[in-house]
Amino acid sequence: MAWSNNLFYVAFLSQIYLMSYYFPNKVLARMRHVLATYPPTAYPKLYPKPIERHKMTHLAFKYVSRFILLLGFLILYATIFWVDHSTFADDGYISGFWPALYGMIQFLPLIVVELSEFSHLKQMRNAHTASKRIAELQRRGLTDLVSPALLGTAALAFAGAILFDLYVHDFDVGWGHDTVQRALVMAGTNGLLALVSAWHLYGRKQDPHQSPEDRAHKVAVNLKVGLYVSIVLSVFIAVTAADDIYSLDFIDATLVSVYFQAVSLLSLGYVLRSIKPEDIEFDVYKSDTAVT
Amino acid sequence: MQIVIHIDDPNPPFVQLIEQIRQAVSSGQLGPGEPLPSIRQLASDLELNNKTVAKAYRLLERDSVIQSRGYRGTFVHPDGRANSAVDLNAWVTEQLLGMVATFRKAGVTDPEINNVFRTVMNEQSD
Repeated sequence: MAWSNNLFYVAFLSQIYLMSYYFPNKVLARMRHVLATYPPTAYPKLYPKPIERHKMTHLAFKYVSRFILLLGFLILYATIFWVDHSTFADDGYISGFWPALYGMIQFLPLIVVELSEFSHLKQMRNAHTASKRIAELQRRGLTDLVSPALLGTAALAFAGAILFDLYVHDFDVGWGHDTVQRALVMAGTNGLLALVSAWHLYGRKQDPHQSPEDRAHKVAVNLKVGLYVSIVLSVFIAVTAADDIYSLDFIDATLVSVYFQAVSLLSLGYVLRSIKPEDIEFDVYKSDTAVT
Repeated sequence: MQIVIHIDDPNPPFVQLIEQIRQAVSSGQLGPGEPLPSIRQLASDLELNNKTVAKAYRLLERDSVIQSRGYRGTFVHPDGRANSAVDLNAWVTEQLLGMVATFRKAGVTDPEINNVFRTVMNEQSD
């Protein structure tokens, strides 16, 4: 019992560090780098709203991330010192609820930043009055941007997780059984990921100035993120199913923590690694007089 | 290869699209069988109406510069390069110039030619 809880503390500490310190710092550094390297005076099209609002967003993101970091340490402290309390543990094993709840909270500031990006791009589109439109005469199909092997792996992982779940329950499950619920969660999440992917592929061009190459690259990265998240979810569901017969309750919390870290690494981590400011064509954000 | 559309150009966007795709095929920038973006993708990227791109594709398909293969999408026609050299606009202009010259020679006035031409075109479109 003690070793499994100790394992959780290490995993949870890693979750706190990765998702509430390392990644927020990286995101903040990236936002500040862009603002310093591509200032509004030289790249006015990149900043449709006053620069103070951008700085406010950076500050808000920083303080919310710090607050969530502190919250993580409080949860860690509570799970260490109230390990015998039923709120935090069952039979001495720390509940998976806490790393799951904390993981969802950790994603919140990143989701808010992502959503504020939509409003930023909308303002950019509203301010865009140029009559020149450019597009790449190259098909942007799903298999043109992601490898069929990755697509196949995601499909196999999805089918494999459901079949494995059925197998460990001797294919004897009724409506309302955990297996059905897990299959529905997977189908729902994958359906949502498919919708987001289709929107990336065929949806309206969000950034009116973005070069066709940058757009294709960003779409490819987003599609891959969707597939990685789908694969991680399938693996997690399969492990959860195995939990039912191998009684892995003692490492439930650790598995949930590892799952959230894997999702953040393969989504945010992959995006930060694949889309770097130095690879983006920022000249498109210069004023028209500066370009010509 | 990139498509550039100028909204305030006297030529409508679908004509600019046709000209640039035709040019890309005739210069070999787009080879036979090469896939083209879907109508929805190109319309979204160029912030145009789907119908505008569909019209350009339909006219290019009529001239056998490109070909649609159902759900697989649109591709450059195997004979697209040769066919892209055929300029139907130039051919129509040449034919009309000859006809107008014949009518004038017969003493028909320009307003009369205009009138009859418009009537015939209206009847054809009905």
